[in-house]
Amino acid sequence: MTSNEGGAPRRLRFEIFRYNPEDPGSNPQMQTYELDEAPYMSLFIALNQIRETLDPSLQFDFACRSAICGSCGMMVNGRPALGCRTLTSDLPDVIRLHPLPVFKLIGDLSVDTGTWFREMVEKSEAWIHAEEAFDPEAQEARMDDELAQAIYEGERCIECGCCVASCGVANVNEDFTGPAGLNRIARFMMDPRDKRSDADWFEVVSNADGVFGCLGMMACHDVCPKELPLLEVYAYLRRKTLAAAFAGKEE
Amino acid sequence: MPGRTKNLDGFANAASEARRQIYYELASGASGLVLALFMWGHMILVGSILTGERGFNWLAGMLEVYYIAQPTVVVIFTLFLVHAALASRKIPAQLADRRRMIELGKGLANAGRFRPANASEISPMQAHIESRLWIWQVRTGMVILVLGSFHVVLLGLDVLTPLFGEHPGIEALTSVARVKAGLWLPYAILLLCVEFHAGVGLYRLAIKWGAGRLLSRNVLHAIERVLLWFFLGLGVVVLLVLADVLPPPLAFLLTEPAI
Repeated sequence: MTSNEGGAPRRLRFEIFRYNPEDPGSNPQMQTYELDEAPYMSLFIALNQIRETLDPSLQFDFACRSAICGSCGMMVNGRPALGCRTLTSDLPDVIRLHPLPVFKLIGDLSVDTGTWFREMVEKSEAWIHAEEAFDPEAQEARMDDELAQAIYEGERCIECGCCVASCGVANVNEDFTGPAGLNRIARFMMDPRDKRSDADWFEVVSNADGVFGCLGMMACHDVCPKELPLLEVYAYLRRKTLAAAFAGKEE
Repeated sequence: MPGRTKNLDGFANAASEARRQIYYELASGASGLVLALFMWGHMILVGSILTGERGFNWLAGMLEVYYIAQPTVVVIFTLFLVHAALASRKIPAQLADRRRMIELGKGLANAGRFRPANASEISPMQAHIESRLWIWQVRTGMVILVLGSFHVVLLGLDVLTPLFGEHPGIEALTSVARVKAGLWLPYAILLLCVEFHAGVGLYRLAIKWGAGRLLSRNVLHAIERVLLWFFLGLGVVVLLVLADVLPPPLAFLLTEPAI
């Protein structure tokens, strides 16, 4: 803990981005709030305290407080993080908060990640493409435990958008599938129940909006609050793409 | 993210377009790999100056007599241009986009820098430098394109024509005279840029294709650092010898015993 036990608590200075796109009179600006640090204070607690005691107009999103709903992603001193999972004791006295870039701004720290993720899911058709009609009576096909674990690993994504916000390419190319999108694609490529062939995926992944748009800056991997192995995901996509390119050549 | 058509053929040729894209990616990575390995080999060869002018001239002569140097100049310059053309396809064209990336990279690097001393180990605010490293790879790449072209053309003239010195070929006397006359400055800048660009580039290439499964990212980064500092150190000593500031430290290897 940074707040000296027994002594006076640390005085935290929050510099928060304020802008309401709905209000024509609103201009983007930074607003400062000061707060005494409390033990085990998260940004979730701090922001609620600011809203309750200092400024009821401050907009931000929270739901679960336990890093599972993915709604409290924000830029904390220039780095995307979940507000609920970030303790003020890990931060300096001055804490600058911005909304996540890339996504549409709703107001202040609140952004619309939903539209971006829905477009990504629709574009990559991120659902199981089965050829046969679903038979509720039939027994489920068996799956290797290792493969099931690998698929589950990709499924752990909470769609908070931290990876997308940290990605230099996603910041400048709105067509880029993005880290979370590539993770989604890899998850369905691995799934034996999905009948799309490597050749089908090849056209989706092997281009500048797919895995070859990635510059290898690795920020997505470093900021992911769920610590998804994103670098391994891209390496997997690259190797699969390479295999598909050479398999297609022989046909 | 709408599915815009990006080539004139529309989606009719999606498969061949995808194949073209993977060839670009492979060629840009492979040319970078070959150039980085060449640069390290080149540094060792130029290191022959540490044994004195005789050793340097003998090695240069061998490479020229057996026609190794001549095709190498042509092949390396071609690869150099291919790599520049392909690697630069990923640089955003708009200055506003570049500024956005620079800003983002700075923020990510600085977020972890001002942590309180007693911040918890699992704090999400760890320093992240790879985004900034990419920006510097672009910058050093631009410098290498200019200074490297100058160097390769100059040495190409040395190897292929009798324009400088007494006969075609690299000669220690000419090289020392040039470096002493002022080329030490562009060469020092080139050295710094090349070692950084090659080291970081190979580290990134290894991660991209999944070497992280065999060696952890920390280990790969450490290897990159060791290679960077080793070749940077060697390069500085070579430049000092070529500038006639330092006597060749390994000259004793080629001197006849006194008795």
